[in-house]
Amino acid sequence: MSSLSVRNVTAGYGNVQVLHDVSINVGDGETVVLLGTNGNGKSTLIKSIVGLVKPEHGAIRVEIDGMTHDLGGKQPAEIVDLGIAIVPEGRQLFPKLTVDENLMMGAYRPKARSEIGKNLALCFETFPVLAQRRRQLAGSMSGGEQQMLALARALMASPKLLLIDEPSVGLAPIMVNRVIETIRQFKEKHRLTILMAEQNFTQAVKIADRGYVIVHGQIAHAGTAAELNDSDLIRRFYLGM
Amino acid sequence: MDVTFNLLINAIVAGILLGGFYAAVSIGISVAFGMLDIVNIAHPAFIILGSYIAYIVNVNLGVDPIVTVVVLSPAFFALGVAMYRWYYVAFERRGRESLSGLAFFFGILFIGEVALLLVFGVDYRTVNTPYIGPSFAITSNISISMRLFVPFLVSVAMVLAIQLYMTKTFAGRCILAVSQNQTALQLMGANPQHIKAIAFGLSIVTAAVAGAFLIVIQPVEPSIGREYIGRVFAVCVLGGMGSIPGTLLAAIILGVAESFTATFYGPSWAPAVSFGILLLTLAVRPAGLLGR
Repeated sequence: MSSLSVRNVTAGYGNVQVLHDVSINVGDGETVVLLGTNGNGKSTLIKSIVGLVKPEHGAIRVEIDGMTHDLGGKQPAEIVDLGIAIVPEGRQLFPKLTVDENLMMGAYRPKARSEIGKNLALCFETFPVLAQRRRQLAGSMSGGEQQMLALARALMASPKLLLIDEPSVGLAPIMVNRVIETIRQFKEKHRLTILMAEQNFTQAVKIADRGYVIVHGQIAHAGTAAELNDSDLIRRFYLGM
Repeated sequence: MDVTFNLLINAIVAGILLGGFYAAVSIGISVAFGMLDIVNIAHPAFIILGSYIAYIVNVNLGVDPIVTVVVLSPAFFALGVAMYRWYYVAFERRGRESLSGLAFFFGILFIGEVALLLVFGVDYRTVNTPYIGPSFAITSNISISMRLFVPFLVSVAMVLAIQLYMTKTFAGRCILAVSQNQTALQLMGANPQHIKAIAFGLSIVTAAVAGAFLIVIQPVEPSIGREYIGRVFAVCVLGGMGSIPGTLLAAIILGVAESFTATFYGPSWAPAVSFGILLLTLAVRPAGLLGR
């Protein structure tokens, strides 16, 4: 069981305020997307949740296996330790470590260490390409393969809550399709709770239960995937489609 | 058998043994420079510190120098951790590690040397152990000096242990990863400063162990560490910065090359070998033999 609640969060970098009074919810087993074009604050919100950005106001809480944790003031390492894994923007792999070594880095969290065998098998089953490249350096793989590795690495942490930041960035359209499809398979098989930031509206709504549209650091719209998909207003004004 | 052939074989054997010692001297630098991006040019001072501590204990209590340093390794580890904390708070955290950090370690090097000079003077110091002096013969023409052989064995064991630690443990893999992406390391649940402190502590332990080898192999005075700086850089670059198997391989190559040169062209040419290798590597294969 896991859920996330972000309440009235205001955050930014130095004097630049990016998020203004943002509140979102992700319920247990839900896949929620944060939609919005570049520079509207999607990544800042994700970074606030994992502790890379410290919010000025507001509260971020997670409930994991019946325990409620306030993430305010916690270091990224402590937050990850609770069972929150992230597929960061730009993948953030260790380019000079092999595929295997990158996956083992994902299993650093003490609670994930006893499940390495099970998680590895799962990763190789979901991403067969990684099984063929176990000894290859991560930095020498293609963008799509690197994105797969970043996803697999996050899964090695046995996450209760998975944050995915812009998985489609820098990928060819066909790869975007495959990455989104894999996330869908994963969420269906393992009932993960997922928060995904994505600017590719059509791809993101394919796997989302609900979504929030974030514009200039504020939640401009919220609704189920179907509602967002059917709303002409959102397509035209907020997503420029 | 032909005399030249005997000389050649003996040169190679002595070179391999010498290489084992060079590996111990270089491995800590390879970790600090190659994996942590810490330009610890004070490394030779910690080597000499290891020599002198081994010397004091040997003279007063008669304990074997290598045993002394291995037993005291937790203390050297703690010293390394404390050094890193200081360096982190004073320089790294403020993004001043490049120039101020270099000056910091330069200062440590000088202060360390001068402190040892003031306490022990400029005299060469030696230790006594049963394996200094005897040598054993493999064949009638090839003999191995025990004072090189014992450090060689311990050094190879130490390098293998570090390699296993780095590749098979969670903390070890974090050390390999820490210079590549510190944010990602945090997102894996590890604390980069903690990881760097462990690695730096390890690097100081290897320096102290190398110091014990040094005083077994030759008499030691406070500024003798400088003689090894060129060799250390040659080994680290040839092996590939941050590659532990590369460091061992390169150290043995350098040892053999130096021993060969000393045997056939005279000992005064030997120091030129390391810089020759350094220049050649930078020109032909800058990533080093086993660099990733």
